[in-house]
Amino acid sequence: MGLLLFISVFLISACGLIYELVAGTLASYLVGDSVFQFSTIIGCYLFSMGIGSALSRYIHRGLVHRFIWIELMIGLIGGFSSALLFLAFAYTQAFALLMYFIVTVIGVLVGLEIPLLMRIVRERFDFRDAVAHVLTFDYIGALAASLLFPIILVPKLGLVRSAMLFGIVNAGVALWSTELFAAQLGARRLLRGMSILVLAVLLAGMLEAKRITAVAEDNIYADEIIFARDTRYQHIVLTRFKDDLRLFLNSHLQFSSRDEYRYHESLVHPGLSAVPAPRRVLVLGGGDGLALREILKYPQIETVTLVDLDPEMTRLFSTNPMLTALNRRSFLSPKVHVVNADAFPWIDADPNSFDFIVVDFPDPTNYALGKLYTTAFYRAVARHLSQQGLLVVQSTSPMFARDSFWCIDATLRQAGLKTYPYHVYVPSFGEWGFVLAGLRDYTTPKSLPPGLRFLSVATLPTLFQFPPDMAAIPMPANTLNDQVLVRAYDKDWKDISH
Amino acid sequence: MNATRRQFVACGSAALAGMAAKGERRIAGSFVNDAFAAGHRIRDRAPVSPALREERIPVVIVGGGIAGLSAAWRLQKRGFRDFVLLEMNGQAGGNARSGENEVSAYPWAAHYVPVPGPKAILVRELFEELGVLRDGVWNERYLCFSPQERLFLYGKWQEGIEPSIGLTRQDRDRFQKLEDLFAAFRNTGSFTIPMELGLERSPRELDRISFAEWLRQQGIDSRPIVWYMNYCCRDDYGALAADTSAWAGVHYFSSRAAEEKGPLTWPEGNAWITRQLLQRVGSFVRTGQMVRRIERQGSRYRVLTDGARFVADAVIYAAPTFLASYLIQDFGPLQHFEYSPWLTANLTLERAPRGASTSERAWDNVVAYSPTLGYVDATHQTLRTQVDRTVWTFYWALSEGSPAANRRLLLEKDWSYWSEAILHDLERVHPDIRACVSRIDIMRMGHAMARPAVGSIFDPQRRALSQAHGRLLFANSDLSGLSIFEEAQFRGVQAAEKALASLGRT
Repeated sequence: MGLLLFISVFLISACGLIYELVAGTLASYLVGDSVFQFSTIIGCYLFSMGIGSALSRYIHRGLVHRFIWIELMIGLIGGFSSALLFLAFAYTQAFALLMYFIVTVIGVLVGLEIPLLMRIVRERFDFRDAVAHVLTFDYIGALAASLLFPIILVPKLGLVRSAMLFGIVNAGVALWSTELFAAQLGARRLLRGMSILVLAVLLAGMLEAKRITAVAEDNIYADEIIFARDTRYQHIVLTRFKDDLRLFLNSHLQFSSRDEYRYHESLVHPGLSAVPAPRRVLVLGGGDGLALREILKYPQIETVTLVDLDPEMTRLFSTNPMLTALNRRSFLSPKVHVVNADAFPWIDADPNSFDFIVVDFPDPTNYALGKLYTTAFYRAVARHLSQQGLLVVQSTSPMFARDSFWCIDATLRQAGLKTYPYHVYVPSFGEWGFVLAGLRDYTTPKSLPPGLRFLSVATLPTLFQFPPDMAAIPMPANTLNDQVLVRAYDKDWKDISH
Repeated sequence: MNATRRQFVACGSAALAGMAAKGERRIAGSFVNDAFAAGHRIRDRAPVSPALREERIPVVIVGGGIAGLSAAWRLQKRGFRDFVLLEMNGQAGGNARSGENEVSAYPWAAHYVPVPGPKAILVRELFEELGVLRDGVWNERYLCFSPQERLFLYGKWQEGIEPSIGLTRQDRDRFQKLEDLFAAFRNTGSFTIPMELGLERSPRELDRISFAEWLRQQGIDSRPIVWYMNYCCRDDYGALAADTSAWAGVHYFSSRAAEEKGPLTWPEGNAWITRQLLQRVGSFVRTGQMVRRIERQGSRYRVLTDGARFVADAVIYAAPTFLASYLIQDFGPLQHFEYSPWLTANLTLERAPRGASTSERAWDNVVAYSPTLGYVDATHQTLRTQVDRTVWTFYWALSEGSPAANRRLLLEKDWSYWSEAILHDLERVHPDIRACVSRIDIMRMGHAMARPAVGSIFDPQRRALSQAHGRLLFANSDLSGLSIFEEAQFRGVQAAEKALASLGRT
């Protein structure tokens, strides 16, 4: 009896500390400033425990009964604390308020626990022993929890499930106490029933925990997620708000359906309209089929080859009705040939030449992607250009990533190409840049396909003018053995976010 | 529903058994390319099988490593075709050999060549021939891709192997002081590659003390610098700084001035160069031919293998120099030829490890204060953006303790001992490494490279062998005491030129 009782003390003490640690860690993760978070949470928690201890004197009768109820409440509130806080952060403005409220409630309840337990055991043990034993196990429990939490719980279970696991422990102690103190309990059945119910709820919570975090993560994106999939290569997310459809790859916005025409018209037409009698076109990247839609506006084009790494991406944009409406079923055109391959080895091996080449890759956020922005890559691409051919490269923002933009321009020139950089305003992106390149001179075209919403022959030359805050700056070329672009890009966007 | 309950239960158990097997997946692998059995036959002077045939051939090259292949390359370029190259292994290349599996080709030892400076004329000549250097521009695809190197230090990865995080002001000052000292030596122009070109002008006294002693004399005592200096000696010489001549330590830092961010590397390492050389001289190469004896026969030499006899006017001895005492008639014992024992392993990974510490995968990955040298990623030089499976070449120079004791250890311990040691080392930085690795092949090399020990650089015997003329010529990087591609190639080409001269062909 004695040992079992003290094990209970050990367990509930561990639980109490875990909830405090969960709140502190969660607040540090989500809000930042861990010193402030931990300090205020510990203060609030300890103070609340004091309140609980003070309140314990008002409990006169039915000590065991009340103790079990307290355990169940702690289990339920503590167990779901982490999930509740996650959801509160994602969906409300009241995260901090709810957090301190939860910490206070748990603190008060935990503050009640030990005084009640001491009074319960006082009847069986010498008071001196009772105090010594209860407090010893209380502190040992705290040590166990403080070690378990960072080493095993957070890495293996995560915050949501760790809290729930300890909620289960609290409820387990409650259930067990109905046995342990059977002699002192009147209506055992209700208490046991409640304990089992709380246990079941927490177990279910544990099984569903993954969905809870996913729901919370949802809200990192501003709009409703209508599609999300982890492919072998990337995390694809589609969101929708009214008529605005947005595509995110690895959390980077790729387009917004409200203004993507600005991007894709600018990507394709300044170059393609300047190529006399284009027949063969190559698109590298561009698995959304939106560049294809623009390319197919030229009836004289015979074939378009699109090389995109991810088959799930091209399949999604060839089958989903909402997306095929956006790209006007461009993937279903008999002129279009899709190749799912890594672009660099593919272009090395392909023997064909093209009149126009669109290079539309994600921004150079890492060294793997950075290879597709090197002199070696552009040399390989240039070998596929027909005599009058041109290529265009999506080149990130000359405004927000000015070094990066001009680095791409320098890299193309180093690869032996003449370059014609230009920029447009895309509201969802901001100022965006492209570099046209070829082995020949370029002048803006005198005609464009009919029905364009953004580009016109008259305004086309203005795209090639850069105001002083985006004007050319000397940059080294990006090479496979010295990827200055990836470092520049990282720095450019860090500077923006600070 | 045709399946009976019995079948259902059987299926279920099989599935469970399968899952259990997957959970405790064994890592496959073995020792490969073991050469000690052949080496011990030479050491123990086992009887030579009688010759069944005799060949008269003007020049025999003994040994098909980079030195021997470079000698052949030179002979052939000079229009000389009356020679054979005898290689004891089934695959030529020596330290520049490779393996290949369904994931990637990978090196077994030497895996890069630093971008050669202007004095390495022969290296540049070869690289121009191979299209690595064209019109003064290095082919970008053969230069090591970004990010080149990283070091795991204080629980995180930093870019570059020279420690740069967590340094005190004093550490920085010492680093700067060393850099200045090395720059001063570099500016004397006497630390060259090939080393022969500047050797006589270089400070001979440096060869009389160890690199560790020299560092102490300069007041270099900071822990990260001492670690780094030791790492460099272990990496290039297989020896601790205390076992390395100060001359060699200084040479490491003062012989190169980078003109391009390198080094030059290939998935299969320097075996790429071996393959290119074999395309040119492969028809002269006979593999699986272990030379057992080299004897004088009048003015000629008799080169004996098990079962064949070659009678040559000149011999280019490009095998490891220490074997000369066992192979060449009347060749005395060698004093200053110590060799470092190494172990390399190729690990096949089914996926990249997911560590707590995130950093982009680099080509060369080193863990500070580990006794090993870390690993090189064979798929780093891929043009793909997406790599799942890969091969890591793990390098370990057994430099603590005596080479002889470490050789015994290499022989005594079994494959599971070494693979466990490797996994244990990697686990510190990649906790889930065991779940990623499917295979570990291990190559043990008792005499992996000549060690530039104190006194070895200016050792009279070494100098005499380097400068030998006549019809028995020595060609191996062992003669430089620096086991690097450039030295091996230089020694091979020099020997070829001397051989032609001795035959009256210039």
